[in-house]
Amino acid sequence: MTDVAWLSYSLQDFLMFGPQVFLRLFIRLNQDFWPWQLLVVPLTLAVPWMMCRPTHAWRRLAVWLVAAAWIGSGAGFLVRYFGEINWPAVWFGWAFVAQGLLIAVLAICCHSEAIPKGRAGVFTGLWLTGVVALPWVTVLQSGELGAMAVFGLTPDVTLAASSLVLAMMPRVWLWPLLPIPLVWVLFSAATYWALQLVWFLLLPAATLILFALGCWLSPSLARSQDPQSGHRGPVRR
Amino acid sequence: MRLTRRQLVIGAGISGFALASPGLFAELAGGTAAVPILRTVPSSGESVPAIGMGTWITFNVGNDPYLIESRTEVLKTFFDRGGSVVDCSPMYGSSADVLGKALNALQAHDQVFAATKIWTADESATRTQAESSHNRWGVARFDLLQVHNLLGWRGHLETLKEMKADGEIRYLGITTSHGRRHDEFARIMETEPLDFVQLTYNVLDREAESVLMPLARERGIAVIVNRPFQGGALFRRVQSEPLPPWAAVAGIGSWAEFFLKFVIAHPAVTCAIPATSQVAHMQENMAAMYGELPSESQRQRMAAFVRSL
Ligand SMILES: NC(=O)c1ccc[n+]([C@@H]2O[C@H](COP(=O)([O-])OP(=O)(O)OC[C@H]3O[C@@H](n4cnc5c(N)ncnc54)[C@H](OP(=O)(O)O)[C@@H]3O)[C@@H](O)[C@H]2O)c1
Repeated sequence: MTDVAWLSYSLQDFLMFGPQVFLRLFIRLNQDFWPWQLLVVPLTLAVPWMMCRPTHAWRRLAVWLVAAAWIGSGAGFLVRYFGEINWPAVWFGWAFVAQGLLIAVLAICCHSEAIPKGRAGVFTGLWLTGVVALPWVTVLQSGELGAMAVFGLTPDVTLAASSLVLAMMPRVWLWPLLPIPLVWVLFSAATYWALQLVWFLLLPAATLILFALGCWLSPSLARSQDPQSGHRGPVRR
Repeated sequence: MRLTRRQLVIGAGISGFALASPGLFAELAGGTAAVPILRTVPSSGESVPAIGMGTWITFNVGNDPYLIESRTEVLKTFFDRGGSVVDCSPMYGSSADVLGKALNALQAHDQVFAATKIWTADESATRTQAESSHNRWGVARFDLLQVHNLLGWRGHLETLKEMKADGEIRYLGITTSHGRRHDEFARIMETEPLDFVQLTYNVLDREAESVLMPLARERGIAVIVNRPFQGGALFRRVQSEPLPPWAAVAGIGSWAEFFLKFVIAHPAVTCAIPATSQVAHMQENMAAMYGELPSESQRQRMAAFVRSL
């Protein structure tokens, strides 16, 4: 096909499923996975507490939970459910699994620092926004409580909340973790736009915002802003 | 003309339904004779109903039992109202599997005119892909295999010709849409022994009228029309607009009928294949297969009216 022919396609032309079918995926996943949500949700809520512990082992556990969430939402929602109606979702699913494994390995190799006391409350608030408030987006859009997008089971909420934790990683380790989230954010935003799922656009937007706030909260940046640390951070200059 | 068992079943189904539901047919046909509009496939003389069904997006529902059941109802309504031509493609995600499940649930393999496509750049994979589609649909053989969007058409057409000669398929064809690659499409129509072409034609997208449709008539090629509602955009265009009063004179009772009758009234058109996920919409769409068709001057008026909105 010539380059010019490609220009005659609109975003809608690439959509191979309708909004109703997509929203039903969340309902089906929740039905099939029940009652494991009762285990997943409390674990999710414990992440901020773990991230603020001085002991490295707790923080590593938190990062492993995030890694498991990537693997779960990739192999579950993306490969098994979304992949049935949209073949690129299968590739994304395996990419999510790979990202989860990478995060798990990095949690062993690199020691993330505890969130400074003064910022623990903000981190907890943002995390809860990600895992408690964002799941309602799918409910608002579909009008069905059963469509709630649970962290660890569905990709957008997983990505949005975990981007806070990823932002805590030392900068050098962060770069390899960025491509998959970035491509997913673009892909999902384009998909939701084409499906006219307006509420869903909050999800990629929230991911970017939470990641930016996570960077601002990260201990290394906090230290660089602390005059007593001996460093003169860029912000104070 | 020799009738196949399936053709007989389709014919008997249509007339049986007409006899059993006189009230409905009178309503469908706006009070006129309840005879479905059929069209002849030039290469064989076989008659097919002028409204078929597409499956892009609408039948791609994965393994969702609730949605599979709902699409089965849509297909049932289609058959109940005299439909038979169903179009699909390996490109349409799970649509072929869903169709297979629906056909199985309805035990309607005898009622369907099964049309699918070959969609792979690998020109040696024609038979493999056809085989996979067979398994997904659960039909004994395809009535029509089309090369989707001309992808790898040279190799695929050669194999399709062999398959037709061996009786593995009944008809072969090529498809395009959105008015793309019409020059190349016309060259293939001129040189290859095609039974069917599939192209986009609707009240607003009328490029096919200039070359492809006259060529189809000249070469005796049946024409399947995709995107008769412009992918649904036509309904959004006329959303709050009432039907013009003169539509009733042309035998038109809804916007769906308006758009479909515009298409099937073109003398080159064999059938239109609107897609829907809703039983109510299927009922509206199938109503277009009964009653009067607009004349050429009425068609021009219809096109001008929609353009003006
Ligand atoms: N290159 C190719 O070979 C090619 C390309 C394009 C299409 N095709 C074939 O052609 C078929 C038809 O084209 P298409 O599906 O793109 O578009 P289409 O049939 O023009 O439009 C389908 C849309 O119209 C809506 N609709 C149907 N009946 C309606 C009614 N009575 N009232 C209101 N809305 C109605 C459907 O929504 P609801 O579900 O809500 O009813 C759906 O969104 C395809 O399914 C496919 O099989 C082939």
